[in-house]
Amino acid sequence: MKIFHLPDLGEGLAEAEIREWYVKEGDVVRVDQPLVSLETAKAVVDVPSPYAGKILKLHGAVNQIIETGAPLVDFEGEGAPAKPKAAGSVVGALEESDKQWNEGDVVIGAAKTASKTAKILPAVRALAKQLHVDINQVIPTGPQGLVTAEDVKRHANQYQANDMEELHGVRRTMASIMTQSHQEVAAATIIDDADISELVNVDMTVRVLQAMVAAAKAEPALNAWFNGKLVARQLHQEVNIGLAVDTAEGLFVPVLKNVASHSDKSLRELINKFKTAVTERTISPSDMQGATIILSNFGTLAGKYATPVIVPPMVAILGCGRAREVAGVTGEKIIARRILPLSLTFDHRAVTGGEASRYLGAVIKELESG
Amino acid sequence: MAEITLVEAINQALAYEMQADPNVIVLGEDVGKNGGVFRATVGLLDRFGPERVKDTPLAESMIAGLAIGMAVRGLKPVAEFQFMGFIYPALDQIINHAARFRNRTRGRMSCPAVFRTPYGAGIHAPEHHSESTEAIFAHIPGLRVVIPSSPQRAYGLLLAAIRDPDPVIFLEPSRLYRWAKQEVPDDGKALPLDVCFTLRQGNDVTLVTWGAMLKETLEASAKLTEQGVSVEVIDVATIKPLDIDTILASVEKTGRCIIIHEAARTCGVGAEIAAEIAEKALFSLKAPIQRVAGYDTIVPYARMEKFYIPSSQRIIDAVSAVMEFA
Repeated sequence: MKIFHLPDLGEGLAEAEIREWYVKEGDVVRVDQPLVSLETAKAVVDVPSPYAGKILKLHGAVNQIIETGAPLVDFEGEGAPAKPKAAGSVVGALEESDKQWNEGDVVIGAAKTASKTAKILPAVRALAKQLHVDINQVIPTGPQGLVTAEDVKRHANQYQANDMEELHGVRRTMASIMTQSHQEVAAATIIDDADISELVNVDMTVRVLQAMVAAAKAEPALNAWFNGKLVARQLHQEVNIGLAVDTAEGLFVPVLKNVASHSDKSLRELINKFKTAVTERTISPSDMQGATIILSNFGTLAGKYATPVIVPPMVAILGCGRAREVAGVTGEKIIARRILPLSLTFDHRAVTGGEASRYLGAVIKELESG
Repeated sequence: MAEITLVEAINQALAYEMQADPNVIVLGEDVGKNGGVFRATVGLLDRFGPERVKDTPLAESMIAGLAIGMAVRGLKPVAEFQFMGFIYPALDQIINHAARFRNRTRGRMSCPAVFRTPYGAGIHAPEHHSESTEAIFAHIPGLRVVIPSSPQRAYGLLLAAIRDPDPVIFLEPSRLYRWAKQEVPDDGKALPLDVCFTLRQGNDVTLVTWGAMLKETLEASAKLTEQGVSVEVIDVATIKPLDIDTILASVEKTGRCIIIHEAARTCGVGAEIAAEIAEKALFSLKAPIQRVAGYDTIVPYARMEKFYIPSSQRIIDAVSAVMEFA
């Protein structure tokens, strides 16, 4: 039998009162398991077990006073305490943890700072929130780089949706198509002039449309659709030309289907019919679908050359600038010539530079052939 | 290498510096034969003898006065007070003399004394044994106030405090004395005074604390990290002079700051830190500065003290509150 005597619980106190036993006779305990709660003149202290093993006897009942050095607990077996414990102090036995002090990486001083937040007064921060302004986008003008209330308001007026009109209808469609085109298409533009001096009293739009039919025959790669996801193209037999029509409502592109099947007269009638239908907003959706290439006749307004934007899945768009007189050199003579500036944008994912050049060359050749 | 507790790291630092510098003297109640109330000075009497390890009468004003006299005459005394609640009789000596010698003599004399004392609640002690009154000392010009929060920092900062040519109040978190163990090389390398230690790096909120509250703060930090909050934890370590630059750099990054201390809230060191942030980093704040602190009461007895010491849940609640501000 091993006897555990009440240790000095601190500052030489002579005795302690039992408040509560945590164990009972017959229990098997481990080292450091709390045995009993004792109250001294100064503190309530838990006394841990110095031994591992079975308890034979508890000396003393609750509220009984035990003198320092008197037997407290009898254990089964023989031997010295498992480990001599530090004597008690005023705060009780000095129990030691086996826990590891795991701190990770300690930085002396400040950690390297990635980015600082915008400097802004709380009230202005609230204003920014109210106006849906991202304060990190605001250009600060205050002292020490402070974002002021004026900065937030200016930003809100410039960039925010408060005073702006949301787009609807064809304008909205244009915005989304142009965004898609900009993200997907690998656009390249070539420009040249067609000498149309010999074309007198002709319907230029109709002539250009017919030239595009001829060019598509010469170079079918531009009268095609391209699917970027599948990396696949579809060449079209029929030439369906979308004709860009400008209106106050926005840009409409009615489609002249199978241009080759029309006479000059029926083409002009169709164009006029579409223009009226667009202006009156009576054009049917089916008349604006199925284009294989687009003609933009922007020169009727102003402009010589442009970089027209392709509408996927098409792979090309031809722009006609304003026809004008230029000084042309023929042999050794300078003679006034009338030219039509042409701009061809093609999707370089689907069309080679050679194909595009040959197409444009074919358009010019057809126009110049009279 | 053996891992040791915070109180063993204190003992290791004392022994190292007593061996290295014959001018280092340890004095206080029961520091010799008994080895100290928490055994911080155990073994020193046997090793260095009664000339250098002195048991004193139970008279704190005298302990401080003795240390000051030794210090101004060229020794390096390390005086122990058994508990922070017993240091008040020595305030006259510490405030009126230790803190002033350099100023009083226009720099001809200084007072290289260290005044050590365990501090803080959580050890089931009676009244006067659970004080956290570091703000009293931080307020006094001429005193340096240092609080370690791990065995490594206890060792490195105590060495720095002993080697410092001016008086240092060295407060040891008694709740952490034996809480866990850490490898502490006995290489005599001091850690820098007057600088914070960044224990966790994050972008959403800065938790500023010191001493035993590092335990609850790191517990809260671990839970918050699980919840997806990116927490930066700063151990101030030297309360006075305050390394406000480290705190400002962090707050300018996170925009949110919570100061956690065990001491009573009113006029605690947290108020000083909050004021510094308000003066110098107000425009970087996304949310009001919060303090999680002890209550403005006497620290309660053993059975109630867990309600007094700020819990990790109180810290988490404060973080949740400031995270509501975008």
